[in-house]
Amino acid sequence: MLSPSRFPGGEPVISAERIRHSYDGRKFALDDVSFSVARGEVFGLLGRNGAGKSTLIKAMTTLIQPTSGTLRILGHDPRREGRKIRDRIGVVQQGESFEFASVETNLDLYGFLWRVPRTVRKQRVEALIDRFGLGEFRRRRSFDISGGQKRRVQVAREFMHDMDILFLDEPTLGLDVLMRRVLLDSIRSEVQRGLTVVFTTHNLEEADYLCDRIAVIEEGRIIALDTVDNLKRLYGGKKTIDLTVSASDAGRFFPALGAACGASASITTHGNAAVLLVEDPKEALVTIVGLSQRLGVQLEWLTIRQNTLEDVFLRSIAPPGGANGPS
Amino acid sequence: MVPPNLVRLIYRNVRVNTDPASLVILLGLPAMYLIFFGYGFASVVAAGGSSGPYLSFLAPGMMAFQAVMAGTVGGSMLWADRRWGMLAQLLVGPFTRIEYLFGIMFTSLLFGLGGAAIMLALAIALLGVSTVPLGGGLVLFGAIALGSIFFGSLMLFISAHVKSNTAYNSIQVLLLFLISFASTVFYPFSTSLPYALQVLFAINPLTYIADTARNGYHGALTLTNGYEMAILAVETAVLLVLATRAYLRSDVSTE
Repeated sequence: MLSPSRFPGGEPVISAERIRHSYDGRKFALDDVSFSVARGEVFGLLGRNGAGKSTLIKAMTTLIQPTSGTLRILGHDPRREGRKIRDRIGVVQQGESFEFASVETNLDLYGFLWRVPRTVRKQRVEALIDRFGLGEFRRRRSFDISGGQKRRVQVAREFMHDMDILFLDEPTLGLDVLMRRVLLDSIRSEVQRGLTVVFTTHNLEEADYLCDRIAVIEEGRIIALDTVDNLKRLYGGKKTIDLTVSASDAGRFFPALGAACGASASITTHGNAAVLLVEDPKEALVTIVGLSQRLGVQLEWLTIRQNTLEDVFLRSIAPPGGANGPS
Repeated sequence: MVPPNLVRLIYRNVRVNTDPASLVILLGLPAMYLIFFGYGFASVVAAGGSSGPYLSFLAPGMMAFQAVMAGTVGGSMLWADRRWGMLAQLLVGPFTRIEYLFGIMFTSLLFGLGGAAIMLALAIALLGVSTVPLGGGLVLFGAIALGSIFFGSLMLFISAHVKSNTAYNSIQVLLLFLISFASTVFYPFSTSLPYALQVLFAINPLTYIADTARNGYHGALTLTNGYEMAILAVETAVLLVLATRAYLRSDVSTE
């Protein structure tokens, strides 16, 4: 994770106050969303599909106008000064976007559209082809390459021009592990030079690796917003126990375990696996092992580990008081 | 020097739409009409007692036809940009919606005029020395320019409303057929036509463009051509406003 101490004061480059947006006038895709992003910060948006992450990106990139609330990007109002904002941002959208042309033409043309001088374009095209490993298909049409290759082109293309803020809506979707790391490292290196990044992802390891702060969005609302470490502390201060039993035992063992642990643990189950967040892992282990012996249940897997962002995420979006909710 | 936004968009539109496959449809099809119909129907027309070669009738008609082809290019550009995500991508870039729209309209215009010039060159090659007078030629190209904007607006209007690729293609093919063959591009208007067809001919903007282009080509412009162009200009203005409104109201973010 990048250090949050890099943002001492200063005017935020993004500030949102009580943003609401509805596509149909009935349901709000964004509901009372407020946050700010400092210059040079990597700000992550986490949430399930349809939680409102992409809508928020669209509002910040001027594609849609919020129904109400105040939004300022680089000090400009997207309603009246959209052009000034778009001149200084880069956007990698979630969906595919490419020209009916070769990979290198896609890059060059994009730079041309962004007013990048020819000589600079030429250098950047070569550098990006090299950095993102596009060389072997640089002369092939974008239509003729694989989904992952298209994604690489789409992400690389955005680095053709200079910008103050880069919005990335699930940029690593469809990328292999190597390319994912290349992309994340490219973003980190740009951030070191002052770029601000707003980043949505489903991959929590990426968010942990890259983000200074994270907002967890659920049903259009920000339900948690802090640095990764603080979120872990806030939702944790606990250890995580991963536990697996046989599928036939899961139905009787997990409810009994929930009752045995009481308020000292929160349990999230998925099939025959369970994740427990506990204050005292030793006490929990005694409970688990004792209960498994008493019920004659074979434990297939049992580990204790530090909290991850995934635990924070699962815990933050879990319905309060629900069967799998936090205690 | 950095070219203005509109010029950059036009350059981009031309560059991504001049692949061989698109050019075959855009120019090859009308060229084949000109050659096959021009020579194929010549004997039929001659048997009917025409006073001039059919090819010289068809050539300005095919030039006028380029206005329709240019319109389909405009509609297809918007459609393709929506389909392949470039519309939303360009609109989060340094462009306004209006600039994007005019980029498409001007590109259509370029394709219309360029295509007409190529048809003219082909006609000259087939017919021998051209007799197109300067004034008539200017009116001819003016009519095609106006027609390109008319049909560009029409196709933009349709692509702003239609959500399915199949529906868009079906509408385009149907319109292309109706507009082309219920006009004076391939044959002259005749009162012997069924009444419904006569009405179609009379209200079809391509008839106005083809008549004016033909008379301009032959240096035989009439006052009727002036009225036709005036009506076309009004229709174009109305359709352009409607297309612009439809496009500006369409939600590109949900593509």
